[in-house]
Amino acid sequence: MELTKNITLGVYLPGETIIHRLDPRTKIIAATILIVMLLLSRSYIAYAAVAFFIAMIIVISAIPMGYALRGLKPMLPVLLLMWIFQLFLFRDSDTLVLFNWWIFEATEAGLHMGNLIILRVLFLFTVTTLLTLTTSVVSLTDGLENLLNPLRKVGVPSQELVMTLVIALRFVMILAEELEKIIKAQMARGVAFDQGNFIQKTKKIFPVFLPLFVSAFKRAEELIIAMESRSYTGGKGRTKMKTLHISRADLTAAITILIFTGLMIYINIATEPFI
Amino acid sequence: MNKLIETINLSYCYKAGTKEEVKALEDVNIAVWQGEIIAITGQNGSGKSTLARHFNGLLTPTTGSVLAGGMSTNLKENIREIRKIVGMVFQNPDNQLVSSIVEEDIAFGPENLGLPQTEIIERVEWALNTLKIEEHRREPLHNLSEGQKQQVAIAGVLAMKPDCIVLDEPTAHLDPRGRRDVLESIVRLNREEGITIVLLTHFMNEVIYCDRMIVMDQGSVKMQGTPHQIFCQSEHQKEQLHKMGLDYPVASQLAAGLKLEGFDIATDIIHTKELINSLCQLK
Repeated sequence: MELTKNITLGVYLPGETIIHRLDPRTKIIAATILIVMLLLSRSYIAYAAVAFFIAMIIVISAIPMGYALRGLKPMLPVLLLMWIFQLFLFRDSDTLVLFNWWIFEATEAGLHMGNLIILRVLFLFTVTTLLTLTTSVVSLTDGLENLLNPLRKVGVPSQELVMTLVIALRFVMILAEELEKIIKAQMARGVAFDQGNFIQKTKKIFPVFLPLFVSAFKRAEELIIAMESRSYTGGKGRTKMKTLHISRADLTAAITILIFTGLMIYINIATEPFI
Repeated sequence: MNKLIETINLSYCYKAGTKEEVKALEDVNIAVWQGEIIAITGQNGSGKSTLARHFNGLLTPTTGSVLAGGMSTNLKENIREIRKIVGMVFQNPDNQLVSSIVEEDIAFGPENLGLPQTEIIERVEWALNTLKIEEHRREPLHNLSEGQKQQVAIAGVLAMKPDCIVLDEPTAHLDPRGRRDVLESIVRLNREEGITIVLLTHFMNEVIYCDRMIVMDQGSVKMQGTPHQIFCQSEHQKEQLHKMGLDYPVASQLAAGLKLEGFDIATDIIHTKELINSLCQLK
């Protein structure tokens, strides 16, 4: 039961590479563009292009490839389940039936749909993980806050929303450690999490999450008091230690992303979508 | 010397006005003097945390009043100023740090005060240096030990340049080494930077570094004085301390034991140094 080892979302790996030094706004916009393209792409070649692009970013930012992908591991069972569902349940009128099993029918369209969903989830996760791995929480906040600032005029509490996000990210690691502790404590008292059938296993999960929730609420309350006594009164009147500025590297990154976007649009028009 | 914090007939009830009303503080009259380092001790539930939370207006009195820097915490418009004067550090560092990176967390307080950028950078630098954690500035918090995290929490409060720092059992979660380092920092802040310290603790070996101490039990102040006055008193007082669930410093315990065995040891010992001096004078 090593939960913390596999958590990469919300963790920041400090570094001095060009990716690390990019303005957070550049990185957020780039990640958003990548995500939009992921959701619109419908051909395997397009996904290959995205995979290549992401691999490049990982290499340039000097993050160990294994580390960047480690966070995907716990998601694999869920993804497999999703894939199976798509394979058997997706219906399209004029599609090839691959094989029959009991009352289920696996279709070619279902196979592609399953692949598509898995690829999307995997890449979405990798893109967001890369963003947090190379951007410290505070610069991420500064960037988001800056980008969301126009929304303040229409009454969206952007600064407060972003602060909530920052804190949520900071507590990912802490709560994972806590969960690990609770699980170990219950194992020490004889709970065997890996035994029994599906329903029995599921029942064992509830006594784990209840204490986790209780402790999360306690932590939240303590944090509020601590923030209050450090004069936090919401976003109004705050200043920043670090101000954002666009550098040459940001221009390079912007041009790269533009070229890549063009390429993706071309690929998607030129190639046959698989679904 | 002037009074930095003063409580006047302070009483506080949790859930006041309901059937489940719980009296947490009763008629507390104490003062914290500028420049001193004062300990507040008492067992769990004695009301010391509740009292400390009145010092910067996190709680406001049910009856009575609290003055911090001459301003009453009862008035909402004073709270912002009061929190600039009185900073607070809590027990669990994980639950009070906001950002994941050391220097960025330290900047959180000054940023809230709306200071200009250059001043924030200066203050963060100063706080890092004062607590001797410069080499960790860019490190993520989850790489640090609990003791180091607590130093960061103190630095975060220090960067707001308060006159007084209230620490609510800052060492309760720490290992002996972390405890020693944090205590050293606290004493240094007082001696070198002139910051008034209010230390809530139930470790008597921390209390002996304080100028004065307050003993609380069941929501009211039972004893007040210098550690020497409290620990080197009559048998009756010793019994009372024992009843309130409090220990004696190790050196005092050892001295008392030796005295009982018939050795000629001074009775006013609380520091190890004093014990050694007294032992060296034995023939």
